Amino acid sequence: MTEPRNPSMSSVPQTAPAHTDSSSSVVEMDPVEYTLRKRLPRKLPKRRNDVYVNMKTDFRAQLARCQKLLEGGGHREICVHGLGLAINRAINIALQLQASSQGALQLAANTSTVELVDDLEPEDPDEAGEPMTRTRNNSAIHIKVFYPDTQLAQ
Amino acid sequence: MFTGCGVVSGQNQYLTRDAVRPHPGLEVNRPIQLENVVTAGTCSIYQGQAYSNAGQPAVVNNVSNTLKPVTLPVAPPALKLGQEGFKKVCRTEEDSPCPFPGLASGVLEMRVKEGSKIRNLMGFAMARMQGEKGVSGGGLRQVVFTGSGRAVTKTITCAEIMKRKVGCLHQLTKLRYKVVKEVWESSEGGASEMTVHRTVPSISILLSKDPLDPQEPGYQPPETLGALWEEKEGAEPASQTACKRPLGPLPYSSFPHCKRVCIGEGVSVIPPH
Repeated sequence: MTEPRNPSMSSVPQTAPAHTDSSSSVVEMDPVEYTLRKRLPRKLPKRRNDVYVNMKTDFRAQLARCQKLLEGGGHREICVHGLGLAINRAINIALQLQASSQGALQLAANTSTVELVDDLEPEDPDEAGEPMTRTRNNSAIHIKVFYPDTQLAQ
Repeated sequence: MFTGCGVVSGQNQYLTRDAVRPHPGLEVNRPIQLENVVTAGTCSIYQGQAYSNAGQPAVVNNVSNTLKPVTLPVAPPALKLGQEGFKKVCRTEEDSPCPFPGLASGVLEMRVKEGSKIRNLMGFAMARMQGEKGVSGGGLRQVVFTGSGRAVTKTITCAEIMKRKVGCLHQLTKLRYKVVKEVWESSEGGASEMTVHRTVPSISILLSKDPLDPQEPGYQPPETLGALWEEKEGAEPASQTACKRPLGPLPYSSFPHCKRVCIGEGVSVIPPH
């Protein structure tokens, strides 16, 4: 990160041409370097049968947690949520649950878009960079894993 | 966990269709084994059941064993086939029935792949859905986005973009495992070939301008742009529990918990979409 900046900093006090240089480079990148900090996704509902899947926790642990909720926890349905890269894992967990239930479980998947906010903080406070924020969208999935028998019995 | 899990050892029969459909008489350890497959992601190929096309597993075993007797247990599985001079010759997705029964045959199906560019996909799909300028037809009524493996995220993104741009689209989402057949060929021997079956998760999203069956699992009504998780997620369980509780037997321990949810979300939930 610091590699490209150091040469330009050393050249700035020396001569004017360096300035023109840096100003021409504005076109491709802003001259001030920023650290990109991703804020956490906004607060989400957390019921006891909500499972938010991430990519840091061991897959088996997350799968086991879901199984425990459905079998030991006495829940008729759980909601498995995944955001971005974790979508795949959420789908995998849901399909695994369904496969190991031997057809007793059903899946109902919904998709949505989640707005995420990134903070851009100037790396060097001397350089006149304003802290900025940027928003972007990411896809998310919400899979309801449930036993359908109450409906079937009717 | 992967050591000694040779491609040719044939110890992984559970990767076959059993994984796709529920099967009576499962081994006890099956969930764990299966899970390896999914966590491993790309590695899963190499754990797959390997055998030759024409039902001559012995041949394949011999060939491969002679090719790499030493390195086999050492090499990490993720690199094995590639490292050992095997090339992926072809990759075919087995035909699976359409996840949306009763769908008209002429529906546009967008197959999203890992490397597909969203702008290309959306450019095409949007043009078809909106119809050509000046034509009164107004374009197609329905479109299906399908993708598997690492393309799942992209598939969802495409559907989300289309929902946002077109508006008033009914959505039906289906998840399942898809069986992918890969043929690998040894670049050294030239004669040896092996087929690997593996299952990858896949998603199919149907977007329709016409109403769909709201009872179908995975249905999503057209909603306002601002609808975020809370509303939607709140609406689901509340309506679920509301209709479920009088019908079925009470859930065991979750009753007070469900009640709390209903109260908390009840106000915003009542107007149906």
